[in-house]
Order: sequence, then C-alpha cells, then structure tokens
Amino acid sequence: MAAPESAGRADVVIRVRGAGIRFRRNRRGRRSFKDLFAGRNRRSRPGEFWALRGVDVEVRAGEAIGVVGRNGQGKSTLLKLVAGVMLPDEGSVDVVGGVAPLIEITGGFVDDLTVRENVYLTAGLHGMAKHEIDARYDEIIDFAELRDFVGTPYKHLSSGMKVRLAFSVISRLEEPILLVDEVLAVGDKAFRDKCYARIDELLAGGRTLFFVSHNERDLKRFCTRGLYLDGGALVLDAPIRDVLAAYGRDHGGTAVAE
Amino acid sequence: MTTALPPRPARTPAQVYRQSLWLLTARDLKVRYATSWLGYVWSVLDPLVMAIIYWFVFTQIVDRTIGEAPYIVFLLAGLLPWMWFNGAVGDATRAFIKDAKLVRSTRIPRTVWVNRIVLSKGIEFVAAIPVIAVFAVIFGAELTLGVLWLPVAIVLQAVLTVGLGLIIAPLVVFFRDLERAVKLILRFLFYASPIIYGLSDLPAGLGLWASFNPLAGIISLYRAAFFPDQLDARAVLIAAAMSILILGVGVLVFRRMVRAVLKEV
Repeated sequence: MAAPESAGRADVVIRVRGAGIRFRRNRRGRRSFKDLFAGRNRRSRPGEFWALRGVDVEVRAGEAIGVVGRNGQGKSTLLKLVAGVMLPDEGSVDVVGGVAPLIEITGGFVDDLTVRENVYLTAGLHGMAKHEIDARYDEIIDFAELRDFVGTPYKHLSSGMKVRLAFSVISRLEEPILLVDEVLAVGDKAFRDKCYARIDELLAGGRTLFFVSHNERDLKRFCTRGLYLDGGALVLDAPIRDVLAAYGRDHGGTAVAE
Repeated sequence: MTTALPPRPARTPAQVYRQSLWLLTARDLKVRYATSWLGYVWSVLDPLVMAIIYWFVFTQIVDRTIGEAPYIVFLLAGLLPWMWFNGAVGDATRAFIKDAKLVRSTRIPRTVWVNRIVLSKGIEFVAAIPVIAVFAVIFGAELTLGVLWLPVAIVLQAVLTVGLGLIIAPLVVFFRDLERAVKLILRFLFYASPIIYGLSDLPAGLGLWASFNPLAGIISLYRAAFFPDQLDARAVLIAAAMSILILGVGVLVFRRMVRAVLKEV
C-alpha cells in the first residue's frame, strides 16, 4: 500500500479490517409489534444491502486522507465507522486515540439549549473536562463569530452560524484524528478560508485527517492519499492525484469542479 | 493566529463514563428545573396529590382495611419509589429518540443513554424523601431501625430499573408500538403492586405470586422504615433475584441490539 513518504514509520492510528455494514433499504418501514410475533420467516431480511463491505485501510499518524466517490457509495458511512458512532456488522475498525468528528452538519447540538450550554455539552460528551472547555471557551466562541449569541437557543441560529459553531467546537477538541464530512460547503467563503487555515494548522501539528469532499481543489490542497469508494467497496487506495484521475475517468470528470 | 495545542491526555474509560453520565443527568435535571418556576415543588406535588387522593378515598369515604396507620405515610412510602420507577421506565422508551442527534454524533458508552434517566429520576426521588419525613412527624409515624434497609431498597430498585431500561430503550427504536404498550403496562402495574395496599393485604395464596413482581419486595423494604411488619423476607429475596435476572437479560438484549439502534436513530 502506497503510504506517503512523509508518514514514514509512524504508528498506525486507524486500522480497518474487512469492515462491512448493512442497512435496511426502506428506513421508514419500521417493524411493529405484529412482526415480532409473526414468526421467523417474516423477519428475514430481504430488503437489506451492504453500504460498505470488505474494506481494508491502514492509516498512519499524520496522514491526510481524502475520500472520493459518488453520493451513496459509502463515504460518510466509512467516516461514521471511524468516528465510532456506528459499529461494523462484520470485520473491525480500530482507532488509537481520540477522534474529533465533524460528520453531522449540526454537530449534534441540541435545539433548546443555548450556544454556551451546547458548547459545554458537546465538548464534554466528546471527552473534554470542564476546565479544558473553560480554557478554550472564548476562543471557540470568537472563532465561530458568535460572541453576541452565546445566550441564544441553538435553534434560532442561521444555518451558517450552526456550521461555524460545529467546526469551531470540533476543531478545538485537540484530538489526534480529525474527520471532516462535506459540511464546510455550507459556510461562506471568508469562514471557509478560516476553516482551511485551521485545518492546515492541525495538519502541521501532526494530526491525522480524514476528509470527504466533492471538491477536487480542496482534496488536492489537504490530502496526500486518496481512497476511492464505489458500490460500498474500496476500489483504489493511492496517492490523491491518481485517485482523482481514476475517479475523473470513471465519471467523466464532471462531478468534480477544478 | 492560534496555535495548535498538543493532543489532550487520554482519559480512562471509567472517567469517560462518569463524565458523560453526569453531563447528561445534570442536563436532564437542569432542563426540568430551569424551565419551570416551581421546579422542585412539581416533582413532589405529583406523588403528594396522589397520596392525598388515596388517603381521602380510603380513610374518609370508605373504612380502610388495607395498609397501616398513619395511612398517608404508608402511601407516600410506596408512591415516591413508584414515581421513580414509573418516570424512569416511561422515559426509557424515549432514551434514544429524544436525543437522536447526540446519539448519532458522539460515541459515549451507549448504556449512558439509559442510565442517565434512571439516575436523574433517582436523584429526584432522593430529593423527595424529606417530604415523607415531614408527614411522619406530623402524623406521628415512628421511625424504626428498618430505615437501614433504605440503601438496599434504592440499590435493588436501581438494578431493576436499569435492567428494564436496557430492554425497553433499544426495542422501542424498532417497535414504536412498545411506547404505548409500556404506558399501559405501567398503569396496570401501579395497581398490581403493593402501593396503595400492603403485600399482606392480598388474599392468601396470591401473596407468593405477587412477590414475583420485584416492586413488591422493594416497596416492603422502603416501608420497613416506619412499618417493620411490612418487611417480607421472602418477597425481598425474590425481588433481588428477579432484579438481577432482569438486569442480566437487559445487558444481553442491549448488547445484541445496539448496532442496529445506531443505524436506525
């Protein structure tokens, strides 16, 4: 496997082995009590599909990995497995050290709590002690440019503010691994630039990055290695240029903007 | 520009568990008390009003032949634990649904989603205990050494409630009907448990069967503080065995279902 030179002999921090996860095709079709008592054959699962299967990846500390693929090919699912918010049905996903996941546009914030309460709750649930949050609180708020809104219930924020807050909190968790799903597409350009500067800074600090994007320029800017997912399988694990070239070949290069 | 701080020191699993459990418990309590002006009074008022209704019916309208005097203290000693049980089991049906966003985006140990409900309702229960003390003083109920059973009762009830929560919370994600079924079962259980009556008031022969409801033994432990005759050793032993059994089943069910739950919420 072509690990970039810069990673050298660094330790493996993410080890995905034969990982697979399946979902029900029809998420809304909830089973009711009747099915529970209707016997075994009714509960057999014809409507399931593998969102991801047989994926093997090893990531070393300090690598920056871009995940490429069309919508619905398993990119976000892979990130969720690495983040540990979903568990694989087969195979294993081992992560050494903490993960700062920016995988939901909402960052998992709670509507009825204020910005301030949300910062303490979310950072706390991601494993930060209270005094650690205290030390970073001002910076988190300033970075998100929400100084005037700390007492505002989260539900009253604009969608741009929500993304700013999510990125600001998650990127300040100081975890060794940062996962970024395509959430940054929402923010305005000025804030996006700030986010990119922060990601650069984290990478320079030796963090490991897992980045999902449809933006070729961003992928080239941050990532050295690429993973190309198609149909729930890892079809190519190579330097990012090769991965983007292969992806462009398969899909006419129209899906990615240069 | 800011500098990237070094990674934070790793925390032990026990630390992570305690911290997330406490954060969510504290939030539950804060939300409940910050949004209402009377706060604490509400959590006491509910069992109090019920106690007064039953007291009125059974001492003023019909001649009470069940329970012991002072009946209001007898009632409260059963009603307050019932409120904890009822609140925790009822809320367990929404353990994952209510905080779906947080469940989807954090990886705290999943049993925390159930245990924080049992803990926050348990704290409310402990905070309501002084109410019994007040009524005991007013109506002259004598405190006995049986009060030493109180911690045992609390532990048993916590074991039972956590066990039921671990069974109910993941199942409701797949079988929404269960939410209503649980409400119905709880209402039935209120009358099927020795709350407005004592275990010894049941017709002979029924007492043994009623003891398989772990609440029977647990409530008899609570009541031992004022009414030593209510303590029923056989019921307590059955309650302990049932509670541990239910917790074991709960752990198994929860472990089996947690993968599917995370996909579904």
